[in-house]
Amino acid sequence: MHSRRLSRVVREAGVGYLFVLPAVVIFAIFVFYPLVKTAYLGFFATPPTPNLPARYVGLSQYRSVFSSADFRDSLWRTVQFVLYTVPGGLVLGLALATLANQRMAGIRIFRTIFSSTVATSTAVASVIFFTLLDPQVGLLSYWLGQRGGSGVLQSSSLALPAVSVVTIWQNIGFTFILMSAALQSVPDDLLEAARIDGAASWTRFRRIILPLLSPMIFFAVIIGVIGGFQAFGQIDILTQGGPNHHTLVLIYDLYQQAFQYNNAGYAAVLSVALFSILLVLTFVQFWYFQRRVFYVQ
Amino acid sequence: MVGSVVHPGNPATEGLTFGPPAASSVALQSVSKYFGEVSAVSDLTLEAQAGEFLALLGPSGCGKSTVLRLVAGLETPSAGIIRIGDEEVNDVDPKDRDVAMVFQTYALYPHLSVARNIEFPLRSRRVPVAERKRLVAEVALSLRLDELLDRKPVQLSGGQRQRVALARAIVRRPRVFLMDEPLSNLDAQLRVEMRAELVELHARLGITIMYVTHDQIEAMTMGHRIAIMNNGVLQQVDTPQVVHDRPANAFVAGFIGSPPMNILRGRVVQSGDEALVDVPGGRLLLSPAHASALRRLGLTETVVGVRPEALAIDPAGTIAATVSLVESLGHEQHIACRLPDGRLVMVRLGRDQVLIHTGDSVTLTATGALHLFDPSTGDRIDA
Repeated sequence: MHSRRLSRVVREAGVGYLFVLPAVVIFAIFVFYPLVKTAYLGFFATPPTPNLPARYVGLSQYRSVFSSADFRDSLWRTVQFVLYTVPGGLVLGLALATLANQRMAGIRIFRTIFSSTVATSTAVASVIFFTLLDPQVGLLSYWLGQRGGSGVLQSSSLALPAVSVVTIWQNIGFTFILMSAALQSVPDDLLEAARIDGAASWTRFRRIILPLLSPMIFFAVIIGVIGGFQAFGQIDILTQGGPNHHTLVLIYDLYQQAFQYNNAGYAAVLSVALFSILLVLTFVQFWYFQRRVFYVQ
Repeated sequence: MVGSVVHPGNPATEGLTFGPPAASSVALQSVSKYFGEVSAVSDLTLEAQAGEFLALLGPSGCGKSTVLRLVAGLETPSAGIIRIGDEEVNDVDPKDRDVAMVFQTYALYPHLSVARNIEFPLRSRRVPVAERKRLVAEVALSLRLDELLDRKPVQLSGGQRQRVALARAIVRRPRVFLMDEPLSNLDAQLRVEMRAELVELHARLGITIMYVTHDQIEAMTMGHRIAIMNNGVLQQVDTPQVVHDRPANAFVAGFIGSPPMNILRGRVVQSGDEALVDVPGGRLLLSPAHASALRRLGLTETVVGVRPEALAIDPAGTIAATVSLVESLGHEQHIACRLPDGRLVMVRLGRDQVLIHTGDSVTLTATGALHLFDPSTGDRIDA
């Protein structure tokens, strides 16, 4: 009797493992193996000329990269970039979603417009803004009073904010869709009850809607932070990390080291750093939001 | 507005030290509501008196919930005037109408504890913290929620959620209570209990309640008066007894009563002072008063209503039928009899009455009052 029950447990577990096997295989080949390989690559200093063998240097390459001013600077720029893009994008996306959540004629047109950037690639968005910000012919440069001169993207103080604005614009469609979906799942009954209970519209938003949106906001923040740390296309097209490293974020530094300076070892260390930072950040966010997010089962 | 008015002299409010709300009447005057081309409520004139328990009854989609939402201010009337007390409220925001509403879904704020839910309307009205705490504690005690104040709505049973919704409604002592099918999500037994609790609460607080339901038992047992609606039109407003005994038209007759009244259509045969109605399977003898009323109106055809309890199975009966279903409820039996034209007629018998089987051929006789209605308008023809 007992052994039969055990064998059934084993059988069920076996079937379960069989079901996850394809995912495990794919993850192992495309995620886990490259991850380990990258960490391993970080133990070797890349030789100055391609034909020489890589030299094993152990942890010293990790130590030297992490203690370098270049690394700290690019990390700080990345953090700034995330701080510009995530809260800004979230507030704007939520504001647009709230506006578009009204029942009125023609609102679908606005919903389509607001979500349209989802269908725009980073490259296209970047080229559009590259033109708009062009110091000679760019409309935005003209409006910003930057006509002629050296241009917004060439300004050491404006380049990172400008790239951030492009990123916010590019992401707004996705955030808008997330927030719209969450808003539509708030039951009308609750808002009507709150109206009758005497809550003005701001109170309804703050005390009813916002708490009910919290799971989606949490999701958007995590996705936004990860996306922010990995933002590459717009920087590559708009500034290539310039001017004078002012938009040189971690991922772009990594790209240059790996593919322009052929410094695979250095790039491997940076990518391990990026991975660890994102892992820790995500855990911290989970921990932080867990006490503040409300899930309706 | 939310001061602690205490009415020590009122025995109905004993046990609730925060006193009764100042109950107000609600009056709708020629109110219509259209949603685009669709008319949800048409030309409704209806008043709930201060302190009255008025039940709005009707099939789903009849406009009864819209009436409630109009009074709450969640909808604006397309025409007509709504008054709460002496005040015309057509242009008054819901939050300033001083009404409370209990929703079918309860509409509890899922992220807030029971205490916070009850407190919500007080917070919105900036009642001081100490006062808030006191009121919440009192109302929670009176609705047996004091043990549950820290729970979230998901951790409560249906009946408990219902009581939280009630507590949130009464805590700020509004002038009018609006209830939209508040018991329909509860199981049958709990519904009976909550019915009694609501009636008791109403008596204790002396509040005005407008109560929407599609359940005639709820309406009959709880309402001082019942307003019956169909297709956005008010059919009859009266006490449960009158609505049952003297339905204003064939719709009300067929809607009230369980099982509902049998409605048959037939030709009128006058002979001297008497009159008969030819119905499928036989004929029904009318009273002299009914006969003269039909003569006076010159009707050759009429609609007859007869309640299942006013029919009996009797060998000397005048209508032939075949038994198609026997439902025994223990204390009584419902017999569905098929007339020759295929129509079903319900007969309600006591437990000790004749033993009947499916397929039996029987004859029916009317033992109680017949109701006559105009065949074209459906209006009641009084004897």
